[in-house]
This record gives sequence, C-alpha cells and structure tokens, in this order.
Amino acid sequence: MSTIFFAQLKKELRRPLFMILLIGASVGVTLLFTGSTQAPMQVAIFSEEVSQDVLDNWEEKLNGNSSFQFETKEAAEALEDVKEGRRDLAIRINNNDYQVVTSSEFPEIAYVEQHVQKAFHEEAMMKAAVSQADNPENMREELEGYLENPPLKIEVSSLKTDDLNNYDIKTQLAFAFALLVAMFLIGFRISNILKDKVTGVRNRILLSPISKTQMYLGYISYSMMIGTIQTLIVFLIFQNFMNYDLGDNFAMLVVITIIFSFSMASIAMLITGMLRTPEQFLAIYPSVIPLLPVISGAYMMPGALTNPVLNFIGDLFPISHAMNAFVEVAFFNPDWIELLKPIVFMLLIGVIAMGIGINLMERRSA
Amino acid sequence: MIETYKLTKAFKGKRAVDEVDFYLDEGESVGLLGPNGAGKSTTISMISTLIKPTSGDVKLNGESIVHNSSKLRKILGVVPQEIALYEELSAYENLKFFGQLYKVEKSILEKRIQSTLELVGLRDRQKDLVKTFSGGMKRRVNIAVALLHNPKVLILDEPTVGIDPQSRNHILEMVRRMKEEQGTTILYTSHYMEEVEQLCERIYVMDHGKVIATGTQSELLSILSNEDTIKIQVDKVTDSLIETIQEIEQVHQVEEDKDNLKIIAKKSSNIVRELVLAVEKEKAQLLNFQMEKPSLEDVFLHLTGRTLRD
Ligand SMILES: Nc1ncnc2c1ncn2[C@@H]1O[C@H](COP(=O)(O)OP(=O)(O)OP(=O)(O)O)[C@@H](O)[C@H]1O
Ligand SMILES: [Mg+2]
Repeated sequence: MSTIFFAQLKKELRRPLFMILLIGASVGVTLLFTGSTQAPMQVAIFSEEVSQDVLDNWEEKLNGNSSFQFETKEAAEALEDVKEGRRDLAIRINNNDYQVVTSSEFPEIAYVEQHVQKAFHEEAMMKAAVSQADNPENMREELEGYLENPPLKIEVSSLKTDDLNNYDIKTQLAFAFALLVAMFLIGFRISNILKDKVTGVRNRILLSPISKTQMYLGYISYSMMIGTIQTLIVFLIFQNFMNYDLGDNFAMLVVITIIFSFSMASIAMLITGMLRTPEQFLAIYPSVIPLLPVISGAYMMPGALTNPVLNFIGDLFPISHAMNAFVEVAFFNPDWIELLKPIVFMLLIGVIAMGIGINLMERRSA
Repeated sequence: MIETYKLTKAFKGKRAVDEVDFYLDEGESVGLLGPNGAGKSTTISMISTLIKPTSGDVKLNGESIVHNSSKLRKILGVVPQEIALYEELSAYENLKFFGQLYKVEKSILEKRIQSTLELVGLRDRQKDLVKTFSGGMKRRVNIAVALLHNPKVLILDEPTVGIDPQSRNHILEMVRRMKEEQGTTILYTSHYMEEVEQLCERIYVMDHGKVIATGTQSELLSILSNEDTIKIQVDKVTDSLIETIQEIEQVHQVEEDKDNLKIIAKKSSNIVRELVLAVEKEKAQLLNFQMEKPSLEDVFLHLTGRTLRD
C-alpha cells in the first residue's frame, strides 16, 4: 500500500502545477463572486459641534461590541473620503443626534446605522436617567454595570433567525468552491487506476505479491490525503490571508474534510469503475462534477433550495452533507453530536459507492 | 515445467485463443510466432495468470495454477507488450517502485537495481525521467523491471517492436545471455522471424488463435522439404500474370512484393520452364530469377497463405 501511495506522491510532486492551479482557482473564483476580501468595514466619525473628548468617548463606545471599525477623523477629511468614494460612509456626531453621511447604498450601511442608533439610544436613556439622579457619577457607573451584566436577561430564540445574523454567504461560497476543486483533484487521482490499467502498470502490480486490497488502499488513501491537504490549504488561505471567519473549531473542519475526501474518492471510484479509459473519464467527470454543488444548493443560503427532487439527488452526494457540516461549524458553533448526521451520511455514501465501484472495476478486468 | 491443456479464451463468444496445447521445459527458450491478432498476448496473459481461461488449464509442475497462482507468480517475470512504466518518474525510481512491490529486500534491491541497469545498458541514464527516453530505451527499462526479482521464467511479449536496430540487438543479446549464463527459461513472442530463429530452440506458430505448427527450426523447415521457393523479378507485375502463375499445377502460393514475385511450388523438374512460359504469355519481361532454400517465413506463408506481417 505505501509503495503505491508514495509512487503517486512522487508523481504529484514532479508536476504540482495541477494542484496549485486548483487552489488558485478556488480562491480566485470565491473572490470573483464575493467581490472582496473580508476586512472589517471602516467607518469614520467626525464632529463640528462636540469636543474631541466627547468624540473619543463615542469612538470607544461604538467600537465596543461591533464588527465595524470606527475611527475619529477631521470633518473635512471624512467628508472628502466619502465624496471621493474612498469610504462608503461617515458618521457626523452632534450634541444630541447624529447623521450618516454616505454616497452609496450597501446593505452594510443599514447595519452600521442600526448599530449607531442603538448606541445613541442607550446614551440618551443614560443621560435622562443620570440627569434625574442625586449622584450623577455613581448613577452612570451603576447603569453601565447593569448594562454589561443585566440581572435579568431575556433570550429570544426562534428558528435559528438569531443565529443567521452571523451567517455570511461569502464564507459559504469559500467552502463550496474549496470542495468543488477538491472533487476535481480527488477524482483525477482516483482515475490513476484507470490510467495504470491502460498502460499495463496495473498488470505488473497484480503480478507482484501485493494484494488487491493493498493496491486499492494505496490509490484511495493517496486521493484522500491529497484532497484533504488541498482543501485545508485553501481554508488556511481564506482564514489567514483574507480574514474569512471559518468558525472557531478548525479541528472539526479537518475531520469533516477527511471524511468528505473519503466519500468523494468513493464516488470517483464508482464513476471510474463504469469507464474503460482515462479519456472517457476526462470527458465525463469534469462535466458531471460542477453540477453537484448546484443541485446540492452549495451556492445558496441554507434552506433556499426547496425542490424535493433536487434535494434528494443532492443528498446522494457527499458535497451536500459536507456543506451542511461546514456551515454548521462556521456559524452555529455545534458540538460533535450535531455533526454526526452529515458525517454518518458521508461515510455511508463512501462505503456503498466504494463497494460498487471496486466491484465494477474488477468485473471489467476479468 | 509449465504446460497448457486445451487452453481457450473467448471474448464475447469469439475465440481469441483456441485449444492451445503448449509446454515449456526448464532452461528452454521457446518462441511464439504469429501475426497481429493471432492470440499471442492473450495466451501469455493466461499463462502468467493475469486473465482466466474460458476453458482449459495451465499447469506448473503438474499443478493447476488457474485458481492458485502464487507459486507461479513468484518465479515469473513478465515483460508486457506495452511500456508499463510511470513515465513521470526516472528509470531508477521505476525500478525501485516495482522492486518494492515485489518485496525485494532493501539491502539487496539497491544492488539488484544497479546490476539490472547495467545489464540493459542504462546505468548512466538512471536519473532521467522515462518520458525523455527513446522508444528503445523505454523498452529496455520495461524489460529491466521484470528482472528485479530474479525470475526463473521470463516471458517477453514482443519486446523489440518498433525500435532502433541497436536497441534491438542489445535486447536480443541480453536475452541470450540470461538464458546461457543464468539458465533462465524463456518464452519469447514476436512477429519477427529472424529473432525467433536466433534465440529459440523450439517454436510455436500461431494463427487465428490456434497453434498451426510446432517443433524445432529444422522440423518446421522440413514441412517445406518438398517445396521450392522461387523469386522472380519482372518489369511489371499484373493481376493476370499472378493468375496465370497460380494456374500452374505445382504452384501453391504466389506472393507479391514490389516488382518481385515469390512463388512456393512443389519440387519438380519442369517448374522453371512453366514459369518462363507464363511470363512470356503475359508479355512481361523476366529480369531476374532465383531459387531459394525455404525459410520459416515461407513455412508460415505455406501454412496460412499470409505473410507474418500482414
Ligand atoms: N480484452 C479483449 N476483449 C475483446 N477482444 C480481445 C481482448 N483482448 C484481445 N482480444 C482479441 O483477441 C485477438 C487476439 O489478440 P492478442 O492481443 O492476443 O493478439 P496478438 O497475437 O498478441 O497480436 P499482436 O501481435 O497485435 O500483439 C484479437 O482479435 C483481439 O482483438
Ligand atoms: Mg500481442
């Protein structure tokens, strides 16, 4: 097994271009569809009324508990930035209210506005309360303490709507394209079996004392390994160089990726088993694979794909389960039990497809 | 040591190998001769346990190996007709890969790789990728791979197809040395008559899946002991000339080769006169006339009505 594994690896290292291209393609396509890297949005705040101290206070208050980055600027500079399109928006702070200065209409602007409004609301209530109090300083501190650690907390939970707040289509697309290119690499490496059959290398392997099981294990474990490594490289690129938030549990991503790679290697084995030559594989595999993420709804919001027929077909392939698991890990902080279902499905698909695939392959060469 | 009994393989009902009886004694070198599609490779695949016969049996020292192949595989080296190598790897890496598959011990393997490379004359090119090699060099690596585990029996399936004369001589010389110096048993497949004549003590001639003749070279030649081979050259070969010659009573076979005609005819005193008359009748001009001893090529022509390289 290891002999075959390392021979495949040596061949890969001799021509790594294919893998590098795939990695580049998945990153490139994700950027193409999502438009940007995932840096936190910067918002300038400025004022022509209040003092610098007050403005600094606002900066601190707004930056707390926020995914945007607020920074104080000179009024002229902030306005100029918006005007020239260097920034999407700036906030003008007045004594009792604020204004959003913007020249565009991104959905993010609504979020910023919401955030600022909430902060002003709090501040206004606080001011009102404090102005009634005998000891304004104490009162403010107490109130702030309460706000941070409320004695009573109401948690609103409805069907995941709360969770969906931190859902992000960009991250999902990053997952989807990473899996798409992984399917290519895994499939092509499985099709080495077919290539070796045509060149006669397979006959030589069969004549050697190595068992068939060992032979298949060599090819399969190699495909799994190379698919996993490629996918993890893509994830690390997104996480470390583009600030994508892939969730807090990288170990889960690794496990899901390994199981997905196994499952996909099996599907590739099934397809390989039905074919005779590498040329047929080259014609069929790349035209089938891009359809899988589409019918699995990998490019859409979870639950957006409602056609039961497509859903059923999609569920037959590992990518739909891997996507569910990835989305779960990235946005909903699941524990291992919650990942059990997609993992079991992928293993099941893997075992069945592998069994049929190898069987077909053996029958072909009888 | 190896024998087959009514060995048969059918693909979709069509018999590619048809009741072949064959044996190979220890230390012998045997040739398997036949045109394209004769069933040579299929026979070899069954003998080397790669495909199962439709019917019939293959035995090693009296034991059937159809369902129990491990004993045979251990002593067998097979050089396939195709170049079965990883072209992206170097010659050395290929040998190492297949040597490891054969579980050749690490300490021995390195030496074995070097001596095998020496034998095929590629020691100084071992670091180069196989895909950069010429056809002849690839063929030599292809053979080297089969020698790593020091097989007692070596089966070569057309090892010299489509290569330069120098590589070809090298390969023939190598096979001869393996037989003479190491006592390796050889089964050599080819459709080049000269190679088989040079290398093999016994010959099987196959056509359309059947063994149509077998024996030593002289035994095979004696099939034609009552025949003459006559080569004539005329200024122009026409269909009607060939027809006229074929109508001569003693003539068995007429083969056209550019301006030459090769005629196999029963030994008789008046064949020369008959031929001259035929040429005159067709108003052609006789430029050259030659009587030859029959060759294996002629035996094949006689048996099948076709040349080997049809
Ligand atoms: N796997 C197969 N499926 C169907 N037909 C086959 C298969 N393998 C061989 N044949 C047929 O069997 C016949 C014998 O083929 P084989 O390869 O044994 O001939 P050969 O003597 O080795 O010829 P060559 O000199 O071209 O190598 C041919 O007609 C071929 O088309
Ligand atoms: Mg052949």
